[in-house]
Amino acid sequence: MARRLAPQVPYLFGCDVADPISAIEEMDFVHADTRHAVIGKLVRRLRIDTVVHLAVTVDSAREDRADHETNVIGTMNVLIGCAGASSPVERLVVKSSQAVYGAGPGDPSFFSEDMAGTERQGSFVTRDLLEMEQLVNEFAIRDPTCQVTVLRLGFRVTDGTTLARYLSLPIVPTFAGFDPRLQLLHEEDAVEAIVRSAMGVHPGAYNVAAGGVVLLSQAITIMGGRAVPILPHNGQWLARLGLRAVTGVDLPGHLAGVLAYGSVLDCSKLSAEFGWKPAYTTRSVMDALARGKTEEHVEAPSPPQEYELQVYLQRRRREERDGHRLARS
Amino acid sequence: MKSRGPNLTAPSRSAEPTGIYTAAPRERRRRSRKAEIIAPPPSTGFRLPKPVRRLQRNAPVYAMQGLAELSSRLRQLTGREIIDLNRVMGFVQFAYQQRELARRGANYTVDDFGFDPQWTESFLSVFRILYRDYWRVETTGIENVPATGRALLVSNHGGVLPWDGTMIKTAVFVEHPSPRHVRALVASLFMGMPVLSWFLRRTGQTVGHPDDTRRLLERDELVLVFPEGVKGTGKPFKDRYRLRRFGRGGFVATAIRAGAPIIPVSVVGSEEIYPMITDLAPLAKMFGLPYFPVTPFWPWLGPFGVIPLPSKWRIQFHSPIHVEVHPPKAADDQNLVMALADQVRDTIQQGVYDNLKLRRGIFV
Repeated sequence: MARRLAPQVPYLFGCDVADPISAIEEMDFVHADTRHAVIGKLVRRLRIDTVVHLAVTVDSAREDRADHETNVIGTMNVLIGCAGASSPVERLVVKSSQAVYGAGPGDPSFFSEDMAGTERQGSFVTRDLLEMEQLVNEFAIRDPTCQVTVLRLGFRVTDGTTLARYLSLPIVPTFAGFDPRLQLLHEEDAVEAIVRSAMGVHPGAYNVAAGGVVLLSQAITIMGGRAVPILPHNGQWLARLGLRAVTGVDLPGHLAGVLAYGSVLDCSKLSAEFGWKPAYTTRSVMDALARGKTEEHVEAPSPPQEYELQVYLQRRRREERDGHRLARS
Repeated sequence: MKSRGPNLTAPSRSAEPTGIYTAAPRERRRRSRKAEIIAPPPSTGFRLPKPVRRLQRNAPVYAMQGLAELSSRLRQLTGREIIDLNRVMGFVQFAYQQRELARRGANYTVDDFGFDPQWTESFLSVFRILYRDYWRVETTGIENVPATGRALLVSNHGGVLPWDGTMIKTAVFVEHPSPRHVRALVASLFMGMPVLSWFLRRTGQTVGHPDDTRRLLERDELVLVFPEGVKGTGKPFKDRYRLRRFGRGGFVATAIRAGAPIIPVSVVGSEEIYPMITDLAPLAKMFGLPYFPVTPFWPWLGPFGVIPLPSKWRIQFHSPIHVEVHPPKAADDQNLVMALADQVRDTIQQGVYDNLKLRRGIFV
């Protein structure tokens, strides 16, 4: 994400509690968490005009305070840090998720941006995200000089998310009698959407997800697994418990709803306002995941250089092999 | 012996003669790599002897030949058509189509609503048998259904299970000069039920939500709606062919906004397939169903009670009511919307009475 932004902006500043995965020369980095004093000081000292807030945890199965702290209180602190007359912030991008809509049998086939917050007992992630978006909305109303973009990103299956691990199981327990539509988003498209909203002026909430859908059974077939419809749909916590005990995949509550009833976004607002739509379709995201499964895994990435070297060598080997095959055929 | 799997080396030699043949044989052997086997290796397990396998492969052909022989003999003996080969062929076709569909693996696409046309058409060969031979449906006014473009079909709803929707879908697909798939709207309740939830979606149905209706109409689809909803299917036998309240006219407002004509449809015969004596509401509540019907056969005969009675059906498509002449803003005019909804309801009710008169008896 930062790698994409770096050439386009004069000055880039990152902050996180953990180490960055890869170092970028153009980016300054500090270890900081989302305390409003820290954010406020950073923003005012460095005259930061665009804040991209991505510290929102969605893919989490544990129902504990920590995620609430990160999602709701953390966002609140970022907003407070950016608020006020002395604030130089002109643009704020907040990451949200498709999970904000939840998923139920009575829902329409497509969620457009105004359908969040229907009166329903959602999972705790859904509730947290709704609360977070409400805070962001209040901020946008209070501070009209600041353009606020909320990106509701679709579910991603890269980097070992829960959904990816679930779909990669050799035997996949599914909800008995349900075969929902799945809609996904490729990581590259997610990054592209964030970069575009940080560089352009697009206030409001946007759905970001790949075009088209695949059925769950189709996705499992693409991954080479076998669907076993055994989970009960009207005892979702029991299904999640069983899934965790048998396969070790800890399914978040909102994903259980998605895997039973499906959740599909309407991204027409995104393509109309951004003039851009995700490059990958849901089908090609699934195909990419299936291809990635067959690739060899690089172990022990202890020093980053070593890791990058290994990845590079692996890519070279693969290209060589593919090139060889191309020449032969 | 014929080699299994594609021969990888042959095309490469003809395509690239220089790269390989310039090198010395030893060098060539050193540089060459083993061909990757793409086809799965032949299974080494137990295999039946060859004549038995041939018999196995040809068994369906022999069965059909025998059946044809038997049917012609019976026709000669009795002078009547005892075994209708066309009907049998419908089932055979269904079985073969299912095998073909299984062979697709994951190589198929569904539209954004989850509709799989190829899969649906395989079921239509079975529904066609029900349509022609079981309920002997007589369809009139099919020319009122447009060959292209959007339209909203509005129908009366009856019978305990929504077979009327299936038959309207089959009628448009079988009778129409340019076969079209009708996309029906179902109660969200069914989307929460196992099996039905994916079966309905995969055959083109979607949730009865105004937003879904609008989206389907904007894609120029034929949309079928039952404004009576479960109040129509769950009415007792003594109230048959008396239309219930037509919702709150929401379907008219959606049609005006989408600029789609409304085609009223009257269905006769659907009410007699399961004569519902009473409704056990507490049981229905327990199972989460809208009603728990009791018919002369259900639940006394168990699964046999689900077999519908072979009543005689008539379906009439009325001439379209052009609500698209009103501007989209007119959808907010409650007075106009309710007047149009009443007009649609009266047309359907009148059509039901007319077709009941045209029908000689319930089963003939």
